[in-house]
Amino acid sequence: MDDLHKNIVLFLCNIVNKNIDFRRQKSKIKKSKNWSYRLGKQKGGSETNSLTEVLKEELNCRTVFTIPIGNGIPVFESVVVTWVIMAVLVVLSLILTRNLTVMNPGKKQLLLEAGIDALRKFFRGILGEEGDRYIPYMMTVIIFLGVSNVSGIFGVKPPTKDLNVTLALALMSMFLIEYCGIYKKGLKGFFKSFLDPIPVMLPMNIMEVFIRPTALCFRLFGNILGGFVVMALVEFVCPAILPIPFSLYFDFFDGFIQAYIFVFLTSMFMSETME
Amino acid sequence: MTSLIAIGAGIAALTGIGAGIGIGLATSKAVEAIARQPEAESKISKNLLLGCALAEGTAIFGFVVGLLIVVMLG
Repeated sequence: MDDLHKNIVLFLCNIVNKNIDFRRQKSKIKKSKNWSYRLGKQKGGSETNSLTEVLKEELNCRTVFTIPIGNGIPVFESVVVTWVIMAVLVVLSLILTRNLTVMNPGKKQLLLEAGIDALRKFFRGILGEEGDRYIPYMMTVIIFLGVSNVSGIFGVKPPTKDLNVTLALALMSMFLIEYCGIYKKGLKGFFKSFLDPIPVMLPMNIMEVFIRPTALCFRLFGNILGGFVVMALVEFVCPAILPIPFSLYFDFFDGFIQAYIFVFLTSMFMSETME
Repeated sequence: MTSLIAIGAGIAALTGIGAGIGIGLATSKAVEAIARQPEAESKISKNLLLGCALAEGTAIFGFVVGLLIVVMLG
């Protein structure tokens, strides 16, 4: 019985190693700008090296082309994928909002109205009446995140797998949170609210300003990257049927839940600041 | 050296314990609350999702730290 187990494990290890070697050969050409490659010499034994290579490959964001201004501005894969998603969303929204009528709306329009209404109700419930001016931004973010988290199934690297993308989104959220606090209470009231509920909490309140975007950024990044790495490992072991349920969970369920949670937390923090 | 790195990454993965316990507790309480008051289900599940997301954050940080250990040092 033990021998059988050992054989199966060895067999799996062989498959994984072979695939990793194959991938390493393929990816050696594209590795000119690998950030982790520049960090220094490799240490450690050969057993973890193949795993490390895979992880690096997943973490690595390829440079697609360089804009020739000054020293050259590298354009990463995630940026290009973001452009494609933006183009698709813009074209889709242009097509879907054409020929809207008040009388006798078509099926398409009814569906659209139901979706927008549900989203608006959801944000209205968290932000309250005064938060109406922020609803279009939040809807844009949730649609963009939903599409980009799922974009992994089309064979591209999801842009949210890149830490820079999630960091940018989290910074935008941070500025929006502080802005809506200032807009609601005025500059004086905003700074006074740092002393709530007691003045001793001042350092905590200041730290919270920076901890919120960090948590938002790493939550999204970690979830998407974790799902991506697990999917890659599953595809090494069994590329045929096994990845389908995993893909349903990691790509669809997790992707939508994370998009939902990102905007949910942002609007929660906003309503907290506006109180 | 390699085994030490592996042990470090493994210790970073222990953050999963806290997240697991936290999410389990939250879910059990939410199920109790829904059983007691089925009409408040939407509110309860909204708060449950928020709590789960926050509790899960620690596990994600552990994962990111473990990954960085393996990638940077391995």
